[in-house]
Amino acid sequence: MTNRIGALGGMLLASLLAWIGASHAQTVSYADAMTMLTRDCGADVKRFCRGLNLGNNEIRNCLVGHQGQVSPQCTATLDAVTASIERRLAAQASVFKVCAGNAKQHCKGVVGEVHILQCLIKTERVDSDKCNQAITDAGWR
Amino acid sequence: MAFSFCGSLVVALLVWSGSAAAQQLTDRQLISTLGQMTATAPVVDVGLLVQEATANVTRGVAELPNWGKLAQLPQLAVEIDFENNSVAIEPESYRTMGLIADALHHPQLRHYKFLVVGHTNATGKAEHNLELSLQRADAIMISLTTTFGVPPGQLIAIGVGQELPLDAANPKSPVNRRVQLVNLGVTK
Repeated sequence: MTNRIGALGGMLLASLLAWIGASHAQTVSYADAMTMLTRDCGADVKRFCRGLNLGNNEIRNCLVGHQGQVSPQCTATLDAVTASIERRLAAQASVFKVCAGNAKQHCKGVVGEVHILQCLIKTERVDSDKCNQAITDAGWR
Repeated sequence: MAFSFCGSLVVALLVWSGSAAAQQLTDRQLISTLGQMTATAPVVDVGLLVQEATANVTRGVAELPNWGKLAQLPQLAVEIDFENNSVAIEPESYRTMGLIADALHHPQLRHYKFLVVGHTNATGKAEHNLELSLQRADAIMISLTTTFGVPPGQLIAIGVGQELPLDAANPKSPVNRRVQLVNLGVTK
């Protein structure tokens, strides 16, 4: 019985960690993405991609091109980082559209993206879930 | 990491070096430093900066009129490491690139145009250093505008070689190898 509870607890913990991981990945910044990439792919970059650059996705293309040779951890991190960055960019592009109703309602007379964003951060409790999620995913909280 | 402030306008020269210091530098610091644009900030002609740098190889640019104007704009310097005599950025500097990208995407900075200035120290030939610094500044700009999704109109890259050392008393010091980011004002 104790073992079963222990196993169940372990599964729940694993699910929780996976969920936290997924949530975190949604809002990962470029800086944190690059830290993960350097940590997990730095050695592979130095081995397979000397002379190539970050620009024009050369490093990503190089690592994908050497998929059978680079470490599995690097491949996994590269996929996770790419997906989360795309989500962050999409959120950044959509924040002011998604939050337009909240801004109109709670930030009357506030002009300019910076000030509207500051207002929306202050009115978090009364803003829509979608608006709050977009600001969080954009990394602007 | 070192900050220095001069003049009425806050001009921060922040030189990042080593991974421990990198953990301390945040995109918020970048945003607050680079975002301090004032209405009285001078307008800088990038073409004239290039002319002055090209015409003064080995003589320095610190005292020249347009480079003097540049010093009055919000700016910071970061260290980005490259492979030897190459434009390939070392993985250890990827985080710094990410920090710059995060800052440039923020609403507080994304309507400004930025100058990316490449600097070398005084090791090797000055003419080669000027060329290499431009190529490296270009590599940074291209990385930011492609892989990191920064709009191309937000950045201009130039090189000044060894002509504007941070430590003028020690021109060969590694601290002089850096990338300067300067806020040029609102994008037109």
